[in-house]
Amino acid sequence: MTETTTIGRLLRSSTTGYVFGCAVPEPEVPLFGAFVKAPAQRKQTEIVGLIYNIAFEDDPFVRQMVATPDLDEAYIQDQRVNRQVPIEVSVLAVGYRSLTNGHGFVYSLPPQPPITLDRISSCSGEEVLDFTARFDYLRLILDSPDAPADELIATSLHHAAAMRPAQDRTFFLREAGKELARLLNRDLARLENLLRRIKP
Amino acid sequence: MALELNKLTHAVENLSASAAQRLTELAERLPMAQATLKAIGLADDELHRKVQAALKFRWAGAIPTAEPVDAAFPLPPHPARATVIAADGSQIYPDRHGISLYYLINIGSIIFRHGLPLAPSTASLPEVFFEDADLYEEDGGQIPSVKIDSERDLRELAALARSAATEAPAAPTVTLLDNGLLLYITLQAPNQKLSDAVIEAYLDQLTALRDSGAAPAGVVDRPRAASVVRLLRLAALAENEITDAELRALGAFQHLTDALLFNFLQPGERSALFVNASPANIDNYQRRGHTIYLFYLNAGRPGKDSLLRVEVPEWVAKDKAKLDLVHTAIVEQCKVTDGFPYVLMRAHELAVVTMAERREFDQMVTGALIRRGLSPSVSQKAQGKAWTGSAKRKYPR
Repeated sequence: MTETTTIGRLLRSSTTGYVFGCAVPEPEVPLFGAFVKAPAQRKQTEIVGLIYNIAFEDDPFVRQMVATPDLDEAYIQDQRVNRQVPIEVSVLAVGYRSLTNGHGFVYSLPPQPPITLDRISSCSGEEVLDFTARFDYLRLILDSPDAPADELIATSLHHAAAMRPAQDRTFFLREAGKELARLLNRDLARLENLLRRIKP
Repeated sequence: MALELNKLTHAVENLSASAAQRLTELAERLPMAQATLKAIGLADDELHRKVQAALKFRWAGAIPTAEPVDAAFPLPPHPARATVIAADGSQIYPDRHGISLYYLINIGSIIFRHGLPLAPSTASLPEVFFEDADLYEEDGGQIPSVKIDSERDLRELAALARSAATEAPAAPTVTLLDNGLLLYITLQAPNQKLSDAVIEAYLDQLTALRDSGAAPAGVVDRPRAASVVRLLRLAALAENEITDAELRALGAFQHLTDALLFNFLQPGERSALFVNASPANIDNYQRRGHTIYLFYLNAGRPGKDSLLRVEVPEWVAKDKAKLDLVHTAIVEQCKVTDGFPYVLMRAHELAVVTMAERREFDQMVTGALIRRGLSPSVSQKAQGKAWTGSAKRKYPR
């Protein structure tokens, strides 16, 4: 397994996805459409997911301060850094892999979700390349009732394309477009919109 | 539910009517009290003689200073760079029905550096006390809660003194406590020896604060005190009328408070300084050079007054730069919270021990006791409360 950065810990989960909490996001993590992973089944499997929502919770203390003009920077830093009002990040499960048998990724819902306080990490560039070698996971995004599917597909494909050498990116996005054309052949208006979004 | 609210509706109506009537009565007498304050103006020799006479009866009023008692001082400018430090404490008292006899003190503190784009430094320091020497008095009795309160107060001030020693050399520094600076134990201590030991340790910390160069202040929100009202009563008495009974009976000033009296202060303004005439101040603090002064401060904004009572030691009261810094720093801190210093709210948040945290700590203690081969349990009374108090149902009769 590739060593990657822990970006948060699991708050709650289900077979179709999970929500993790983290401190104030650094510029590089977490981002909408980013690939993340969580351990499951006592670290026998690793669930790959896509971040589809980032929510900043508030509390009465913060609400009181919002209306204050000319807020000293130290107040802002105190609320952001010290008080750690939870940031909830929602993830859609789009596949998993076994860490014991060495087989590749499986593009369906995992056998079990991760459990409370499990570490959530961002996928390495190599893992994103491996996972997006096939486009079977796009069906899971399109079927999701919770995630903004079209936005998530477009953003995650651009993330995955950016991991590839410059000369391969157009080919990758074109192949993704072909897969979307197969999946959305009965919804041409939506397909056209998506294809515009992923156009290299 | 055990509290049958339908049986209290009549009493609640009477309560609100009584409160409204009291407010009306006070409002009628307030102009007379404020006129008395204005008439005193700068305290003359006669009033000072009366104060000296009253102090012989351990009078708990406010002693006028060189400032006119009806004065209102405008808000000084806030420096571009200043540091405000606050500390607050909370405690778990010993519970003889619990799984083990202990008490816990948790001190939260925050160092807020105005003018620097940095997150404030915050800390929580918990301590648990469980040895016999901690829990029992010399006569074998369990430690009184007032002693635990004093230990907490002492640790709050010590936390401020530690932080001030490192912060004050870098910038003008104010330290705030969510309370007056006169220890409550001076009124409540079960024995003099205990009281003296605590007060001496407390005054040592005030000395450390003075040496650091910081300006400490105690802040009391929604003060109920009538110290200055007592001064008005004293002023109204002839010198030969000053007796213990006359001083205790406030006469026409009955039930008026200093907060009402100083409702003429505009947002940002402070009242005149007074010396707290509490016997504890005169007997203990004055001797060590830490006589406590007080003033009232409107830390609100136009349309929403917020009157605070602020206590400072003599060496702040007599140092204009430090006094102005305390004045302006408190008002600045209140801007974001609508009337109470932000740092004190945060220090409380860092200190408070919630019921959930207390349960978790009890579970930690239980686990540790079991690993030692003990069989901890709560008393049957406590168990009964847990059974009946958590998920009570009410069946129709």
